[in-house]
Amino acid sequence: MIKLALPAGDLRGAIAQLLDSAGLEIEGYGEGSRAYRLPGRSRDVLTARVFREKDISIQIALGNYDLGICSIAWVKEMHARFPGQPIVPLSDLGVAQATLWAAGAPGHCDRLEDLSRLGLVRIASEYANIAEAFARSARLARYRVQPVGGAAEAYPPEDADCVIVAAAGGNQLREAGAQPLFKLFDSSAWLVANATALKTKNLSSVTGPLKSSATSTAAGNGFRLPGPLPRNAAERMPMSRDTLRLAVPDGHQQRHVVEALRAADLAFDGYGDGQSIRRPRSGVDRLDVKVIRPHDMPALVATGEVDLAITGRDCLLEHRYAFPSSPATELLDLQRGQYNLSAVVSEDLPATTIDEVLELWRGEGKPILRVAAEFPATADHYARSRHFWRYHVIPIAGASEGFVPEDADMLIEGTETGKTIAENRLKAIDLLYRSTTCLIGHRAPNLSEKRRRVYDHLLSALQPS
Amino acid sequence: MEDSMRPPGMRDMLPDDMERFRIIESAFRNACLGWGYREVRTPTIERLHLFTAAGTLSPQMLDRVYSFLDWDGWSGERVVLRPDSTIPVARLYVEKLKDVRVAKLFYVQSVLRFAQGDDSREDWQCGAELIGDTYPLGDLELILIACEVLQRLGFAPEIKLSDPGILRAVLSKAGYQQVEQLSLYDRLLDGDSNALTEVQERLPRGAVAGLEMLSMEGDGSAFLKNLRSVLEPGIPEVSSAVDELTTIADVLTGIGHSPRIAPALVRNFEYYTGPVFHVFAGGTKIAGGGRYDALISQVGQQSIPASGFALEMEPLASLLSGAESAARPQVAIRPSGKNGADIGAVFALARALREAGVNVQLVGLTNGPGREIVASADGFSLASGDGKVRRLTRVDEVVRAVADAGHD
Repeated sequence: MIKLALPAGDLRGAIAQLLDSAGLEIEGYGEGSRAYRLPGRSRDVLTARVFREKDISIQIALGNYDLGICSIAWVKEMHARFPGQPIVPLSDLGVAQATLWAAGAPGHCDRLEDLSRLGLVRIASEYANIAEAFARSARLARYRVQPVGGAAEAYPPEDADCVIVAAAGGNQLREAGAQPLFKLFDSSAWLVANATALKTKNLSSVTGPLKSSATSTAAGNGFRLPGPLPRNAAERMPMSRDTLRLAVPDGHQQRHVVEALRAADLAFDGYGDGQSIRRPRSGVDRLDVKVIRPHDMPALVATGEVDLAITGRDCLLEHRYAFPSSPATELLDLQRGQYNLSAVVSEDLPATTIDEVLELWRGEGKPILRVAAEFPATADHYARSRHFWRYHVIPIAGASEGFVPEDADMLIEGTETGKTIAENRLKAIDLLYRSTTCLIGHRAPNLSEKRRRVYDHLLSALQPS
Repeated sequence: MEDSMRPPGMRDMLPDDMERFRIIESAFRNACLGWGYREVRTPTIERLHLFTAAGTLSPQMLDRVYSFLDWDGWSGERVVLRPDSTIPVARLYVEKLKDVRVAKLFYVQSVLRFAQGDDSREDWQCGAELIGDTYPLGDLELILIACEVLQRLGFAPEIKLSDPGILRAVLSKAGYQQVEQLSLYDRLLDGDSNALTEVQERLPRGAVAGLEMLSMEGDGSAFLKNLRSVLEPGIPEVSSAVDELTTIADVLTGIGHSPRIAPALVRNFEYYTGPVFHVFAGGTKIAGGGRYDALISQVGQQSIPASGFALEMEPLASLLSGAESAARPQVAIRPSGKNGADIGAVFALARALREAGVNVQLVGLTNGPGREIVASADGFSLASGDGKVRRLTRVDEVVRAVADAGHD
């Protein structure tokens, strides 16, 4: 049986078409489909499962899947940090073409050389390992990489000096308000394979048809990193500001936050039901608002880049489990968007509590426990505090319900009604905590009197009645 | 290896390994102390930017460091497990000792760098750093310390000298930028003959001849004179590096060493700014070092010349035979019976022997040469090598007998 990992998200339509034209139609996989585990047409030779794109390279490297289709950028992201991982790019499928750029903020960093003038270079990217490699190769004297879940192009200049982002071209970056500094490589969707599976298993019924419909580029070609930048005297450019900065989330939390803002008599132009621009106008004097991913907010609060943020308690706790002494703290519980974060296992397990599950697995002599989680630091903390023996935390970007039992033994998963996990033949065995939408801020904010007034106004307005 | 609880590349040191380790450490410490150096130790965890800012570790080396976000690393700035000791010592100097005109420091500590498979990822080093304006005496002193360590351990040291300034001058003449120079230098070290051809093709006509000497090795002053006569007419920029090397080589030759000259020798091309050296024992490279005048200014913005070397303990330990690490003689004592009085007699004798500096063994197997004493409340039975047993009643008599036997 050949195991194939396919991407969720925007790529589905193009990949489904490509599979069809190669005679490898996967039932139920296509634009708009939400199924996560799909039988192949030839059920006895091919099984497919849908993952978030960035998880596919991990699944292939782990050997859970023989073949996968994902952007070559995610393979390079893994190889930038773990060059020995057994994942082999086989063929460029020619779809989802983009370019990975280093970009800066116009007027702040217009040329690559401008980075060497900064005492500390802040780099935001979804591709944190490539960002690290970029900084090392440029010989930046001092830098920090802010891993973000997306929307990195919105970070400069306030929250980053440089971003590593994928974009169709330099013009698309400029339209998003970023200045292209350096082109790292061209990316597109590739067929990739686990190296061991390539050596030991006949994969030709998939690799053959896909290879013949592929374009001929080499995966290693064109990955450029900058040479050492000239060493300039550092010009620390302190970001003094007289406005208060509030971060609000996009994605599934946006609806809850819009409701909370409405209840507080706050309305931001460009941030409402079904609409979102990166910098909505607040309408409140001295209040700047920015829309970013909720996962990325606690770090920005801790470093003082933003003063207040509305995010889930799950995101704050994930940050606190990774960095226990972080000054990011919960200021208000907005009491919306409530859900449980639970430990979830297959419903087939004859156990109902975490202790029973561990006892069962211990009795079976299970050598390693595989825990998949969108919140890896939380999962790691949970595994430690529950005295798991040898365990792997598998960080995942989403589409988590299909991981258990084949690709993980346990999920750390958010559940609202329990319906979705029941549909996926899973069950919750332990409650980690109850999460709601929160206002978070720095434990000891350093605010001028004018900014303090805005800060106090927001805290008072957002206080749930 | 896959099933071991030990992570790949990490080594357990068994008792024999530790004995060899301490023998090397002791030889190194005594040599350094004898030349007026003082011991320091730097932390296992340092900030990553210390190493990136120093600019002396190549991106390839930085790719191998163990870097991570500490528990308070929410800003995204990483820390590392010490991948190199010279840079932390430079930091220590800048932060704690910068008023000392000449700092003579040494250390015994490990460095951690990722390696493939089960190749060692933690390497123990004995290193010495000499910070201050000491050329050429300091450079010679460091070479002689490295040699003395090997001599103390019974090896005849062999010295190879180089100066990256020679190749730097050639590559600059050929118009290579800094990054290209690094890559070409590594290819030359790897024996890539095409690299030399490429350099030759880019050099002006008068500077091409004799470049093959860059990949050769030769004897001290004679080789340096040849090198100068061949290269200097076309590339006069090599002269200062050749001058420095000649000074070092002449002094070493004068005091009985026979250094070899290898124009391409050390990997860390950009790290070193002056003469560099390797010291070998039995054909195995044991120590390497040289002058790195730019480092202190890169770490602490204060321009102070410096040089140093590090000695790799693992290859050196593998050269030590079992004889060096043989267990010292000891006395095994066992009680005649299991009653408290007999056991009390064992410990009374053990304490007296330890006070007299004798090694004792009460439990476990005897390890190496020694003798056995059976203790009871009534006295002690001493077995000698010829099988005879001698009875003594008092502890002081036994201590004297053991001491006398030790003098035989």
